[in-house]
Amino acid sequence: MIRRPVSDPWIWVLLLLTAGPLLGGLVFMLLYSIGLVGLLTDGFTLRYWSYVVTDGQTWRSLLYSLFIGSASMGASLALALALQAALRDQLRRGALGSLLFLPLAVPPLTAAVLSVEIIGNGGLLSRLARAAGWISAPADFPTVLFTPSGIGIVITHMTLVTPFLLLFLIRIAANERLGELARVAETLGASPWQSWRRVSLPILLRSSAPALTVYSLALAGAFEVPLLIGAQSPAMISVFIQRRFGQFDLRTRPEAYALATLYAGLAIGVLMALSAWRARRAPCERRL
Amino acid sequence: MMRRALGWVVSSVLLLPFPVLILLSLARRWPWPAVFPRDLQTQQWQVLLTDSSSLGAIILRSLGMGIGVAVTATALGFACSRSLARHRHRDRLTVFLYLPFAVSPVVLGVSLLYTFLRLHLAGHFLGVMLAQMIIAYAYAVLLLSAFWNQRIEALVELASSLGATPWQLWRRALVPMARPLLAVCLFQTFLISWFDYALALVIGSAQVSTVTTALYQYFSSGDLRLAATCSLLLILPPLLGLALNRRLLSATIATRLEDIDG
Repeated sequence: MIRRPVSDPWIWVLLLLTAGPLLGGLVFMLLYSIGLVGLLTDGFTLRYWSYVVTDGQTWRSLLYSLFIGSASMGASLALALALQAALRDQLRRGALGSLLFLPLAVPPLTAAVLSVEIIGNGGLLSRLARAAGWISAPADFPTVLFTPSGIGIVITHMTLVTPFLLLFLIRIAANERLGELARVAETLGASPWQSWRRVSLPILLRSSAPALTVYSLALAGAFEVPLLIGAQSPAMISVFIQRRFGQFDLRTRPEAYALATLYAGLAIGVLMALSAWRARRAPCERRL
Repeated sequence: MMRRALGWVVSSVLLLPFPVLILLSLARRWPWPAVFPRDLQTQQWQVLLTDSSSLGAIILRSLGMGIGVAVTATALGFACSRSLARHRHRDRLTVFLYLPFAVSPVVLGVSLLYTFLRLHLAGHFLGVMLAQMIIAYAYAVLLLSAFWNQRIEALVELASSLGATPWQLWRRALVPMARPLLAVCLFQTFLISWFDYALALVIGSAQVSTVTTALYQYFSSGDLRLAATCSLLLILPPLLGLALNRRLLSATIATRLEDIDG
């Protein structure tokens, strides 16, 4: 295959539309946060960074986002793997195979509205629990929305992510010929559980790990679901940044930019580390 | 037997959102603990479709923005994906395509806002579209990179050696061959714009109304029935797309995430 030089104009378009705005925006936010640009700047200062870095809310929000992103991905992956192991061929055939695509048509905002209507204290499950005689008032139903535990956000993310992961795992299983490998393992004396745990599961996890890491990053930066059904405090990082940025006092804006720069730097750092790890681990596996 | 029962349970959970939204959009009164609404009405739909706040115009604007973003991102993405697939630093360049996904859309919007204000693009639908384009374009390049393989390159060389001009090559050979993948790309990039709320909020600066911003307004004002009705409008185009494109999307799921495996 022909290898084009760096001067290919389409590559410049690619850089201009991806790295350009993001890195340009990052540099701007950094300059704004150290007082070198901005409407009310007094010149170079590190006081905004100092405030953001020493503010407990910053780290609480970052750790909370990391926790919610990891918990959402972990729970969705566990559920997807369990459903794949339990349902097997049923997932690829018939109505269920088609229904798995339905959640792809549901945006996060709608998923949050549905969570209020289904798992909220006054939602459908609470009404069914009342009909079954298990509770007598909405307050008796376990509260999962608007709580600091973030369990409502995790459940809502699970409803969006699990079907997508199931489709992804089905595809990996087909590409890696897991059915044939499992049959070989069982012919050699492994039980179905052993063949799934020792053969299928390691391959599925290894093949999906990089994708799931990027997806977890995206979930940690989720905005709509925590905005609608998350607690006021702690807030997930995207909501926290948007609130800081939306304040009327323009003097707080450099702090908002410092916070956004810190988060963007961390996210880009994780992405770069993942890329470097992939490059070191299996250069021969890379595509042409 | 157990497997069949589990299949039914999973199917029911996947279908549950739709009757809930439909019932909520038609409910007149649905007090707790009633499992079903007491009375039904079409007032929510009438409000949405005939309201003076002109949701019709908002839907048309959102559709226009989505189509504009989809067509531009897919066209640019198709051209760029070929250069990327043939580039010696393909893996390194691909990392740049993940940046918009790794960084939250809110941070992307915040980082762009000042520049967009200076360019008079903030608070304008063109500014929102441009910001959405960054994500949609990156997605399109990732998706369409899967099209370029040894077989396609061999066909390109054959067509060129037979005298095809670059224009003829794209129009008569490459675009027709990539049509199924281009259709999926158009659909998915449309959804990136259609589902977007964060960029419409930050770059739109409360001056660009889209279906998602309308939905948020209904939700935050406490009117869940109108929010549910608006949600149905929001999921209608993707459902139609899924009905038309289910088989193609099946292939896309893999491409979308397997590309990360690089």
